[in-house]
Amino acid sequence: MTTRHISFTLNGRAVTASVQPHENLIDMLTTAFGLRGARESCGQGLCGCCTVHVDGQAVSGCLFLADMAEGTRIDTIEGLGGADGTLDPVQQAFIDAGAFQCGFCTPGFVMMVKTLLADDPDPSDDTIRHYLSGNLCRCSAYPEIVAATKLAARRIAAEGRP
Amino acid sequence: MADFTIEYPGTLAEALSFLDPDDPSVRPVGGGTALMLMMKSQMFHPTRLVCLSRLSEPMTGCREDGDHIRIGAMTTLSQVEHSALIAAEFPVIHNAMKNLANVRVRNVATIGGNLAHGDPHLDLPPIWAALGAEAIIHGPSGQRSVKVEDLFQGYYETDVADGELITEIRVPRLPGWRATYRKVTTRALHDWPAIGLTLAARFDGDRIADIRLVLSAAVDIPQRLRGAEEVLRGHRPDAMLLARAGDSAAAEAPMEHDSRGSVDYKVHLLKVHILRGMNEIGKG
Repeated sequence: MTTRHISFTLNGRAVTASVQPHENLIDMLTTAFGLRGARESCGQGLCGCCTVHVDGQAVSGCLFLADMAEGTRIDTIEGLGGADGTLDPVQQAFIDAGAFQCGFCTPGFVMMVKTLLADDPDPSDDTIRHYLSGNLCRCSAYPEIVAATKLAARRIAAEGRP
Repeated sequence: MADFTIEYPGTLAEALSFLDPDDPSVRPVGGGTALMLMMKSQMFHPTRLVCLSRLSEPMTGCREDGDHIRIGAMTTLSQVEHSALIAAEFPVIHNAMKNLANVRVRNVATIGGNLAHGDPHLDLPPIWAALGAEAIIHGPSGQRSVKVEDLFQGYYETDVADGELITEIRVPRLPGWRATYRKVTTRALHDWPAIGLTLAARFDGDRIADIRLVLSAAVDIPQRLRGAEEVLRGHRPDAMLLARAGDSAAAEAPMEHDSRGSVDYKVHLLKVHILRGMNEIGKG
């Protein structure tokens, strides 16, 4: 099997990985880096559990060839919190709003909300639903997820930091 | 999965040199979202993928070119969605984006890949067809262009040969035309549509001066409904006329039944949405 060595930036650190041509980003993050926050669930880009950011844009990691990560900047849920264990305001808002039950989909939702708030710091309900329409929560915590998104937006605006 | 290689050409000439006119297992890749699904489902076993992500203009971006707009094949759906030029020239494309897949897929999927995929359920190809757009295709023997309307030859089959790739879409500006795309899903919004119907028309007062209707999803390839267009062209779109156009459309469209509905059901949807679509664009 053809193995290629690629270099990219993962959660702010320069890294290299050996990838096989058929592997997707989730395969690589799991096997080469032990990162399990982004999960392949539907495998079709529909459920959002595999959401990661490539060059600042949210993508479905399950539909993205790992090989194409060469030279990019990849950010995952594991890179959101501070080194001292403090959570990102979006993560904290999900906890405070009770925006999950089993938590399987939560990393994907949090990464989508990060994208949403970067694009629109004060999103309407419609905009929130539009951005999150490609994320499925089978515990159906949707009302709380919308509330968490608004809570995060308010806190970030109050703190004046992204 | 069998082994394959991935190439990243830096120029169009290099990209063409990696393709193979005699080998369908060598494919160009835009964002790869659709191709990944075909590989995962074992529908497609590549021996070589030619990733076009390092190619630049004219393969990327939206620009004005006289009475046309040109969109590079590697422009992502998100870039088209957020292009002020596209929103001003073709609001029907801008509006369709919001209900097309989701933000993540639009961030990666490309305009050219979306066309080359040849899936009749997709939202953009029938709209490009109704707008009179053409695909610019490069291959070993140079450049040619094919109207999007004529690009599709069967279910997942296009006029783009092995060894060729789509480089741009060229869309005529259509002053005075109004268009809408009606994506009719029967379950969730993000389901495949039972039918897709694009209506594009130019009005002269309250008469339809010219019109193009394109049906998608329920048929093997996006299809012009020329009989229904003929019924409508030159007339005021009153309820009687729209009913006749609906009958004509139903008679000429070889629709298929599937999990999204029976043929009878889709015929009903088609008639209803010809009426609603004309009401929508007729109001201006």
